[in-house]
Amino acid sequence: MNTTPRLLNRLVLGVVGLLTLALGATGLAVLALPAVSSWWRAAALRAGDALDGLRARTTLEGQADTWLWIALAAFLLFLIVMLVLWIAAQGRGRTGLFATGAGAPASGTASPGASGPAAVDGGTAGSVTITAAAAEQALKAALLERSDLAGAAVSTWQVRGVPGLRVRVLPRKGVPPYVVAAEVARLVEALDAVTGSRPPVLISIDSGARVRFTRAERVS
Amino acid sequence: MSADPASRGAPASTGRLVRRELHSSRALPSVVVAVLLIAGCLLLLFESVLKAVGDEPFLLDVEEAAAWLGALPGGVPGSLLGAASFLLLVLGALLLLLALLPGRRARYTIPNGRAAVVVDAEVVASSLARRARVAAGVAPEQVLVTVGRSLVTVQIRPTSGVRVDADAVRAAVADDLRRSSVEPGPRITVVVAEAGVIGQ
Repeated sequence: MNTTPRLLNRLVLGVVGLLTLALGATGLAVLALPAVSSWWRAAALRAGDALDGLRARTTLEGQADTWLWIALAAFLLFLIVMLVLWIAAQGRGRTGLFATGAGAPASGTASPGASGPAAVDGGTAGSVTITAAAAEQALKAALLERSDLAGAAVSTWQVRGVPGLRVRVLPRKGVPPYVVAAEVARLVEALDAVTGSRPPVLISIDSGARVRFTRAERVS
Repeated sequence: MSADPASRGAPASTGRLVRRELHSSRALPSVVVAVLLIAGCLLLLFESVLKAVGDEPFLLDVEEAAAWLGALPGGVPGSLLGAASFLLLVLGALLLLLALLPGRRARYTIPNGRAAVVVDAEVVASSLARRARVAAGVAPEQVLVTVGRSLVTVQIRPTSGVRVDADAVRAAVADDLRRSSVEPGPRITVVVAEAGVIGQ
């Protein structure tokens, strides 16, 4: 449910992979093929001459070396900032708000089904906010009462601009997933009724080390 | 998922949620690659600043490195160069595969009227194993269920002297799969071992 930039991840991984692949292939070719290795040396000489010329042209009066070093440093700094931003973009998207409802205008034109809890209060000024922690803990407490679940975790994420719930449950060994799905969906509907909002919900029925080491439920 | 007209979190967004859950996000390889690139960039940045100021190089003399690169087949043992190049080749191929392969995770989706539901294959397997065990009348240790993307294999070691009805087991497993209506629906194979074990 997070906003990890999946396409970007794959694009950058692909580009870096291609570059690395080309580097390795060039190394092998230079090592194994005499024709390539002689071409490589000639090309290196020409490139060195070109670099020397460039360096002479870009060295300012009274300076010892070219200003291109500074330009290179600035470019590398930019690259590093971009890479750090890329790392920071992974796994984002948690939100602290479950639902917000602005108070309906005093004329009482609250349309039925308007967003969130405000639809019920019939034109009182003000706004209603339900924090994510409230919804999460209500649902989690209800889930942990069940004996067929070894654990549960609820978190709130921004899904396409609206808050959505991610419910992660760990059923005990042998519990049919369709039963768990139906039961959790029923609890979510109860939460809908209580909070008056209907957020997108993801139920993730997982297994983990915690489940593997607990006993199977004997009585169902 | 599309049989969900009442949901205000439209079916399209539910489908998107499920699709994202069923495929890997490649976050971990991305972070590893980014950290390595940042380390390389930091070293180069440091050296180029030292150059610009006119100081001695710190770890790597950029000009010497360039000269060494230009003279490449010489200046380094062939076996070392070959091994390093091969390593780079393999690494590049791995990264490219990470970028191109779909990266499906061992999960299924169950249709539900209210929410998007994804189930770990291990949970499905353990539920199937329970049904198969009851249908075959054996102990939990005598049943092994593996769930693949398109194939469910049930392996049963019967108790010595007690016949196991493979068809009943298949029917029970098929019933469980039908009830959870996991998508995509897999085929079922039941294998009853020739040799029995001492019953528990």
